[in-house]
Amino acid sequence: MRKIALAVTLTVTLALAMVGCANPQDKKTEQKGDPVKITYIHRLPDGEGMTKVADIVKRWNDANPGIQVTATKFDGKAQALAVKLETDIKANAGPCLAQLSYNEIPEMYVKGLLQDVTAEAKKYQKNYGGAFGQMTLAGKTTGLPQDSGPLVYLYDAKEFKALDIKVPTTLDEFKAAAAKAAAKGKYIAAFTPDETAYWLSAQTAAAGGVWYKTEGDKWKVNLDSLEAQKVAKFWQDMIDAKSVLTLDRWSDAYTKAIADGRLIGNLSAAWETGFALDGLDGTPREGQWRVAQIPDFGAGAKTGPDGGSGVAVMKGCAHPAEAMKFNDWFNTQVDDLATQGLVPAAVQPAKTPAKMARQFGGQDVRAVLAQANKNLSQDFIYIPGFSAVVPKTTETAAKVAAGNGKVADVFAAAKTSSFQALKSLGLPAI
Amino acid sequence: MSRNARHQALFGWLFAAPFAIGFLLVFVAPIIWAIRAAFFGSEAAEGGLYGGGARREVFVGFKNFAHAATNPGFWSGMGRVLAFGAIQIPVMILAALFLALLLDSFLVRRPGLWRLGYFLPFAIPGLIAAIVWTYLYLPELSPFAAALPDLDGIAFFLSPRLVLASMANITTWTYTGYNMLIFLAALQAIPHDLYEAARIDGASGWVIATKIKIPLVRGAALLAVLLSIIGTVQLFNEPTMIRTVATWMGNDYMPMLMAYNTLMGQISPSGMGPASAISILMAVVAGSLAVIYALVQRRIAR
Amino acid sequence: MSAVRTAPPPAFAPSKFARSLTLIVLVVAMVYFMGPVIWLIIASSKSTADLLTTPPFAFSQLNWVANWQALMSWTGGQFPRWVINSVIYSSLAGVVGTMISLACGFAIAKYQFPGRKALLMITMTGLLMPVALLTVPLYVLFQTIGLANTPWAVIVPSLVSPFGLFLGRVYAEASVPTELLEAARVDGAGEVRIFFTIVLRLLGPAMLTIFLFIFVATWNNILLPLMMISSDNLKPVTLGLYGMASYYAPNKGAMMLGALLGVLPLVALFLALQRHWRAGLAAGAVKG
Repeated sequence: MRKIALAVTLTVTLALAMVGCANPQDKKTEQKGDPVKITYIHRLPDGEGMTKVADIVKRWNDANPGIQVTATKFDGKAQALAVKLETDIKANAGPCLAQLSYNEIPEMYVKGLLQDVTAEAKKYQKNYGGAFGQMTLAGKTTGLPQDSGPLVYLYDAKEFKALDIKVPTTLDEFKAAAAKAAAKGKYIAAFTPDETAYWLSAQTAAAGGVWYKTEGDKWKVNLDSLEAQKVAKFWQDMIDAKSVLTLDRWSDAYTKAIADGRLIGNLSAAWETGFALDGLDGTPREGQWRVAQIPDFGAGAKTGPDGGSGVAVMKGCAHPAEAMKFNDWFNTQVDDLATQGLVPAAVQPAKTPAKMARQFGGQDVRAVLAQANKNLSQDFIYIPGFSAVVPKTTETAAKVAAGNGKVADVFAAAKTSSFQALKSLGLPAI
Repeated sequence: MSRNARHQALFGWLFAAPFAIGFLLVFVAPIIWAIRAAFFGSEAAEGGLYGGGARREVFVGFKNFAHAATNPGFWSGMGRVLAFGAIQIPVMILAALFLALLLDSFLVRRPGLWRLGYFLPFAIPGLIAAIVWTYLYLPELSPFAAALPDLDGIAFFLSPRLVLASMANITTWTYTGYNMLIFLAALQAIPHDLYEAARIDGASGWVIATKIKIPLVRGAALLAVLLSIIGTVQLFNEPTMIRTVATWMGNDYMPMLMAYNTLMGQISPSGMGPASAISILMAVVAGSLAVIYALVQRRIAR
Repeated sequence: MSAVRTAPPPAFAPSKFARSLTLIVLVVAMVYFMGPVIWLIIASSKSTADLLTTPPFAFSQLNWVANWQALMSWTGGQFPRWVINSVIYSSLAGVVGTMISLACGFAIAKYQFPGRKALLMITMTGLLMPVALLTVPLYVLFQTIGLANTPWAVIVPSLVSPFGLFLGRVYAEASVPTELLEAARVDGAGEVRIFFTIVLRLLGPAMLTIFLFIFVATWNNILLPLMMISSDNLKPVTLGLYGMASYYAPNKGAMMLGALLGVLPLVALFLALQRHWRAGLAAGAVKG
């Protein structure tokens, strides 16, 4: 027994000592002449072979002794970060900068968590493409865009050749090619329920439509538009003809379908080029895939936004000008950001990272993505509360994938939950 | 107050105080905060598309509660949870008790290894358990699931008809070993001379187990069942895991999933208030079940 | 006491048939419980591609070194530090949490003090509230008292375990004979001394059970550190793995290795505590 007592005492003392060493951030009050301190919270992967955020930030800190930045990685999902930010900002302890998905920006703004930095942002606007608009709400800019996700088409060129099909340029060609491939047990696209909200909205944009627009001071939920109906019909036909695989994008089944060579193409967000083919590394299929523009959805050479994020300035940030200065510098480090798997939103061209070149058989992937960025619809906006629209859409799409319902139901579900979200936020909708 | 009563009060509280103080800080204060939050909501500070980019907190009375209590999704989720618990809890507790009795009997010479092996699943983080079981349930990856037919267009183990059983299996896998430890600890505290006396009187192993051991672990068993009932109402990890491969379930399939996703703004954007109301409602249901269980158990004991 | 039990007198020895049947049952149970764990061990040796394409219960190319390097790269070289953090947080919460649970459970079981019933009721009510929903208010609270983003923010909430309290009470009721306490008092022992020398000794296995519960719960808690901790060097290991998993294309092989390495300290702990499993004093003390 004495031994246990001894062990307990020892553990506690030791642990207390170590906890004592690892004490919290210094809480000195700022004095004149001290460097400005900026905190930046991000969700970049920081994975193997990527240029680490800490190293990029260190370069800035070394060159800018007057503006010292601390970057921290948030390990959870986007929605958990939103909850943490809301709590922090209410307690006046929020970070200066935070990485947020474009579809979260309106909601965060409505909740009063973002600062209006329009004047500062104007100075840097020229460095960014169309995604700048995603950071701007009713004329007020809240930060700078980091990456964008135009829909592109990824496909296995060798399999396409073996099947004697070409990259489809219209929806009819797409259907025909899909049917031809499916007859051989190959699929040139997958209907992925867990991505539908972003994926179908981006396709609606590619068809020249939008899910939401503003009419005066009111939100117009536009999910019955002809463009939306067209997208719904296209996927309904594909599912009915059994020429598409139905599986969740983020399940391992998807990665395996690619590894097995059953799935040989898909409409994907541009940022998927950063990792979608990781499962093929070191296999005979490595280097067979290519990237191309999506087929014409009826609006010519146009694509829609699927994801992407920006770095916004939070309410309560004491040094918004300095924060924006760093923000602009960071988001124009395009080659570093590209190693994190991003398609940078900055106009400055980025090199195709070595890994990407290897996985895409030496193709100049970035050039294709840059073109897609140019074709990106500028009209598509999200409503505040879009994050509550996504799950119902996913749930309905999963039922459709199981054969219980029509693709049109997915749009109907998105419509209902959009109205609910706006109502719950007390915003006017028609 | 007599000297002895004063003595009892003083030392009773002395021993209870550290826990009681911690409990005030870690449970009572946050619960009060959550109860308060349940009576509040927020509204746009101004009109317009973005509500002026600011919000105001407003007292909404019982609106959040009314909303949760009249939501059919909440009650169907509760129904699923009850169906789950009605099967899973007895299976798990009986299996744990059986294994504990086995390991405590003369039938097993070296219980150490078995004890460790059965307990280990409890130590695997839920995040990893999710991946493991996903790999065993998905027909594309599993050595078992591939041969089984789809049900209603959805993979066998993940279909609406079987998904509760698939979740129950994960819960059972995770917690049986731990419950076994609880029983073992209770069994170990029983003086061994008690069995030896019984054996000398000619009692068989079976008689010893049922007549001596089971009554002695009764306290631990009743507690384990009670806590499992409460734990089941709060079932969260398993549906969260399974949902990543069974998206049809939606994010409000079970009450705790609903509460958490409401908090995260994934069901309605308004967050903490409605989420608190749902969890308070859950607590009321769990509390009622616990009371019913205690009453029934007392009646049976008589 | 050793793990091997003293053999029963020959007359009571179970039959060969009973032994074989028992063995079969034990092995089947072992396969069920350990199967997924063995899968984890095998998975930790594979690359992401092999995980998907090779048979799940067979080793293929051993990729441990690459997975370790990937793990170190993904965690910015912090992996060992995070494991140490987790060990510290979990042991501290486990040790202190077990002590206060047992002390309180013992008090409720064996002392008549005013407020005893109320204390039990209130803790019971506390258990009814889903803990995940209390994380945000806890975070607000810890921010207010200036302890957010310190180890205390993870340790303090973890060491209060109503479950531990209930277990402590049940065990104390069942295995601490009141006569023994009275006898010790007559011998002139103080209450605190009685608790530390007699009660804790009687409750050895109970202590272990509660300790393991709190230790594992602290180790596996993600939501609490996710909210509370933002400094990289303070993160516990499970949070780090969760961060890796939140990315679209995590390196699963490396994650499996991380998880496996995270379970090892617990296995070591369990083995080290094996011998305390039996209440050393129980049998003799009761008659005592």
